[in-house]
Amino acid sequence: MNLRWIIALMFLLFLIEGTIMPWLIPDEWTGRIIPQFIFVFVLYASFYAGRHTALLLGIGFGLLQDVVFYGHLIGVHSFAMGLCGYVIGLMFEHKRIPMLTALSLIGMACLLYDTVIYFIYRVFRMTNESYVWALMDHIMPSLFLQLAFSLVLYVPVRRWFEGSYKKKSADDEE
Amino acid sequence: MIGLILFIAVMGFSLGNRSNLSWPEKFINDTVSYVQQWFYKPAGYMAGLFEDIRMMRQLYEENEQLRTTVARYARDRSTYNFLQSENERLKDALGFTQEQMELYNYKYLIAQVISVSPDPYNKTIKINLGSKHGVRTNMAVTTVDGLVGLVSRVSPFSSTVTPITELNGQTKGIAATVTGKESESFGIIESFNSETGQLLMTKIEENDKLAVGDEVITSGLGNVFPRGVVIGSVVSRQVGDFGLTHTAHIEPAAKMDKLTEVFVVQVPGFEELDQ
Repeated sequence: MNLRWIIALMFLLFLIEGTIMPWLIPDEWTGRIIPQFIFVFVLYASFYAGRHTALLLGIGFGLLQDVVFYGHLIGVHSFAMGLCGYVIGLMFEHKRIPMLTALSLIGMACLLYDTVIYFIYRVFRMTNESYVWALMDHIMPSLFLQLAFSLVLYVPVRRWFEGSYKKKSADDEE
Repeated sequence: MIGLILFIAVMGFSLGNRSNLSWPEKFINDTVSYVQQWFYKPAGYMAGLFEDIRMMRQLYEENEQLRTTVARYARDRSTYNFLQSENERLKDALGFTQEQMELYNYKYLIAQVISVSPDPYNKTIKINLGSKHGVRTNMAVTTVDGLVGLVSRVSPFSSTVTPITELNGQTKGIAATVTGKESESFGIIESFNSETGQLLMTKIEENDKLAVGDEVITSGLGNVFPRGVVIGSVVSRQVGDFGLTHTAHIEPAAKMDKLTEVFVVQVPGFEELDQ
């Protein structure tokens, strides 16, 4: 599986985020559980494919989301995704990370991503809520969705990325 | 560092009131929404199917209710026809111009929702009508229940709707009044508090007749918005920040999630005004 397929898959995920996910999330949780599947993929890319790929994927798909759902600003998601992908890639690129570490890293990166987005909107005065409220309202609930999603896709994604960037180390799966 | 500066520049640039999108944005918008519409509707149908099965029991009761409503409607209808013909006759007698006659003759365009933004601070909705179908920015978007939002960006074949829950931080407000007290009540819907889920209506006069429980509708003053679109109901009223005017909290009437069909309201004369 090479990068082209990964991009196609991410585009599909982008479509699902905006179209199918709103129907799957129960009424009480609408607006509180936010799917960020592309971002999880960007993180996987930063683990297994390197920080530059992650940066480009993050900026590209973030920009896509910004342009398609252009409400207040363009560039928020692009910036946040690119930044998080790059930072995580800088620290953990091509290291052999066990599954639990990878998942907790994804969790932390999601927190970072949501925080960055929150503060950008806060700086531009698009939101007046306190950070604690935002954290309880949607950041924590959606974190669980992201973790569940990344857990489901951990094994196949790892195989794809490692197949496309032939690493010398033999892969051992959990 | 350069990237950071660049991004802040882009954000700052896109923050302002841009009336038109550039062509790459339009192109991406249209292409993506073309693909998105293959997903959203089938997903909605599937979800609707399960919902329907669950709702089966309530159908009987609802049917009963609807019957009584229809009976009332038929009665109102005859009164309405009579009033309308009389109104028309009076307007004729007063010599209204063609433009004035058609002022409240709104056209409703039915639009399908294509997708919903997965961003908590920016819950925009995409619809499958664009400038080629006569949609312009700032047109009101409603459902059967009430006002949903405003068209914020328009591409040739799709457009983006900003819900009324996202009005914060923008200069736009919606002129509003109360059903039954149209000439005695006025205020401006300005912002939305997502912690309480209520809209804030400001600039209400001290001796205004607005009371808790009233139904708030758009007033149509300024002729950009249609008049008489339901916004919500008044939950509470209190003295405003400066003590000169009152403010009111309003519970929005329309449900913002799981929308399938919305109406874009075309106000006559709007297109000429836009150009």
